[in-house]
Amino acid sequence: MSGVKDRKPVLQVKKANKVYEGVHAIQNIDFDLYRGEIHALAGENGAGKSTLVKALAGAIELTSGQILINGNRQSFKAPYDALRSGIVMVYQEPGLVEEMTVAQNIFLGKEKLLNRLRSTFIGAQQILQSMKFDVDTSIKVSRLGEAQKRMVEIARAIYHDPKVIIFDEPTATMTPEEKMYFFSVIKSLAEKKISVIYISHALEESLELSDRITVLRDGKQVITSDTKDMTRESIVKNMVGRDITQTYYAKAHKDIQGEAKKKKQILRVENIIKRPIVKNMSFSVYGGEITGIAGLVGSGRTATANIIVGAWKRNMVRGGMIYLEDRPIRYRVPKQAIDDGIVYITEERKLNGFFETMNIDENTYLGWLSTKIGWRFITSKKQEQKIGDTWIDRLKIRTLDRKAKLVELSGGNQQKVVVAKSLVQKPKLVIFDEPTHGVDVAAIEEIHNFIRSLKKQNIGIIVISSYLPEILSLCDRILVARGGRIVEEFSPEDATENKIMYAAVH
Amino acid sequence: MVSLIQGEKEVNMTGMLRSRLAGLSQEQIVFLVSVFFFIGFSLFIQGFASIGNFMIMLRNISVLGIFGVGMGIVVIGRGIDLSQVTTSAVSVAWVLKLMQDGLSIPGAVLLGLLLVILMGVINGYLIAFIEIPPLFATLASGICIYGFVRHYLLNLLNNHYVPESCKSFLVLGQGNILGIPLPVIWFGIIALMCHLFLSRTSFGRFIYAQGDNEEAARLTGIGIRPLKILQYTLCSLIGYLAALIMASSTSSLNVRIVDSTLIFDVVLVVVLGGISLIGGRGGVKSVIAGTILIGILLNGMVLINLGIAQQNLVKSVVLLCAILLDTFMHPSDEETARQGDI
Repeated sequence: MSGVKDRKPVLQVKKANKVYEGVHAIQNIDFDLYRGEIHALAGENGAGKSTLVKALAGAIELTSGQILINGNRQSFKAPYDALRSGIVMVYQEPGLVEEMTVAQNIFLGKEKLLNRLRSTFIGAQQILQSMKFDVDTSIKVSRLGEAQKRMVEIARAIYHDPKVIIFDEPTATMTPEEKMYFFSVIKSLAEKKISVIYISHALEESLELSDRITVLRDGKQVITSDTKDMTRESIVKNMVGRDITQTYYAKAHKDIQGEAKKKKQILRVENIIKRPIVKNMSFSVYGGEITGIAGLVGSGRTATANIIVGAWKRNMVRGGMIYLEDRPIRYRVPKQAIDDGIVYITEERKLNGFFETMNIDENTYLGWLSTKIGWRFITSKKQEQKIGDTWIDRLKIRTLDRKAKLVELSGGNQQKVVVAKSLVQKPKLVIFDEPTHGVDVAAIEEIHNFIRSLKKQNIGIIVISSYLPEILSLCDRILVARGGRIVEEFSPEDATENKIMYAAVH
Repeated sequence: MVSLIQGEKEVNMTGMLRSRLAGLSQEQIVFLVSVFFFIGFSLFIQGFASIGNFMIMLRNISVLGIFGVGMGIVVIGRGIDLSQVTTSAVSVAWVLKLMQDGLSIPGAVLLGLLLVILMGVINGYLIAFIEIPPLFATLASGICIYGFVRHYLLNLLNNHYVPESCKSFLVLGQGNILGIPLPVIWFGIIALMCHLFLSRTSFGRFIYAQGDNEEAARLTGIGIRPLKILQYTLCSLIGYLAALIMASSTSSLNVRIVDSTLIFDVVLVVVLGGISLIGGRGGVKSVIAGTILIGILLNGMVLINLGIAQQNLVKSVVLLCAILLDTFMHPSDEETARQGDI
């Protein structure tokens, strides 16, 4: 902390907490940012980086804690408040209006009352020139490349005269040359005494660019240190750093692995392609064991799962092959997959997991009704009740009011209902996508035990998870995805969090 | 600090009000409002509180109610069918024209039936497969069939009568059973059938599921596209029944009814009773509650001689209140509403 210690912080965060349904997304974070500093945030998916910066940008409100700007306390109720205080966020997806010109985009939301085209173009040109970026300000944004769009976003940010700019994964879609140019722009921002918060999964970028690095893990702040004191190894170690538990997981596995390996192949995926996310994804799944797929967000895991169940379509020509028990399959809609016995349990349960106006019984029964064997014209209250009883018992769903709508239940119970709704369909292959995302600790254990209990039925089980302890404690085979393909396979005995993380970050 | 605490208190107050209102369903609130108006009108409007007036009121709104039940099915599935009144009215006008041309009653009714089913399937296809938003798909298809039928099948005649030879057609909508007008009985039967369909069959469940969360329904393995075609077909079909009853009870049908505010009245009774535009909520009971409130209001306004313009004003205010109540009771999520906007 020597190099920058004497400087005055522009932005301070004190004891920040954000709680979602009883789960801490971030916990007691103390973060500060100096004038003209580039500060990198590192951590696994779900470590709390996005939550922290969203709170700074006013997209969400903190449950408790303070945000200070130049020592004055601020409360951000909306992104506009943060903007007024000089904090600008550049999101992962470019937030530009494609059908407007570069100049119009730069001035968007802050136009003068009498908006003359000429002065707009000239003003935009001046800003772009100050960052040595040469582009015609009168062309439409839809004609620009990814890096150029970033530059326009930065120009727009600069126009707002910010104190702090936050970048969330800005380089994900850039080519190496574009990256070099982009970094030089960021460095010139720092020279102009604008502070930068930089989130990236590519650790080399953070090491090259930043003055300090903060590592988050499970919502807690692990370390904040000068970059020159950090190495790639020490960052990864801090990102995962659960040395004690690791041995325990491995031991638990050795007992199971003793069994004879006579396992039937359920699913085989060969070279499936859906540009730009999935590139040559290949793997197999066997009955009676849990296949884990680790990796970072954007590595193509969820997309692959959606392709397998027919929710998305892979490329028609040279899209690759998927075999279910050696029979080639290609589904147009998920209904066909479910008829064949493949179910997908979504990572975004609020978005597409459950029916919020219905109660536990109705949700579960609906899963049964939508199968071929379960369908009947007239529904039966008795059958609904019976199926509900069975699954409430099997998954230990706890609720005071059995008739409560799902929207009123806790995250853990909702997730259990989503699981029940799919498992009632008697599948041959289950794909769990982040099965314990946003679920309380007790429910995590119960869901894990349930997934393990499925192995006895000899069905194929895929667990997609970004949370390494989950992968390590559950899975019999661990695959690591990166950039749309499987890059590594581990057996649970030799897998460690460090090894998996190394394979997952590039 | 002070402002923060006040802010929290405010949130709690609206939260409490919301939870207290949530104890009542919207159809119960609407029903209570109906009772309030009913008592008020009985006290202050002469001639309102009589059995004769009550029967007239019921008969007048039962056609609207039947239209509403059909529309309700579509709105529960998070859609809307603006072509319902048009399709039904021009089809029935064509049925009357065919009767005048000497076709038998069953033959004419059957041809009309085929026309509305075709329209329902076309609407469903446009919305489910081509994925045009329901508002625009049905707006366009409604205008299209209005022009087509009027020009090619009706020879641009507006007013169509039930011919002398087909007097038995009038049995459908005229007359009473035990003093209750037949249209009211039809409304009861159709409402009951639809209620059973929505609450006791798999298809009903699937429609609620689709309206609640279409993507979740798709991932659960429900065939969303055929289901949508079914909804729009049922909606046209029930509208067709409503229009047949309407034509029978007045012995004639004027296709200019398409240009009236009838379709908005239909949407009004549906939304008013608590079939939310965000889908998956409410049921046939909601349509009945909405229909009764509108019936009382319309009847009261006619009795005190309010003009059409003033009536529309009152109706629009009621509709706005209903939508306000709807968004108040089903607020959008903080997370999804604010994510990513800058």
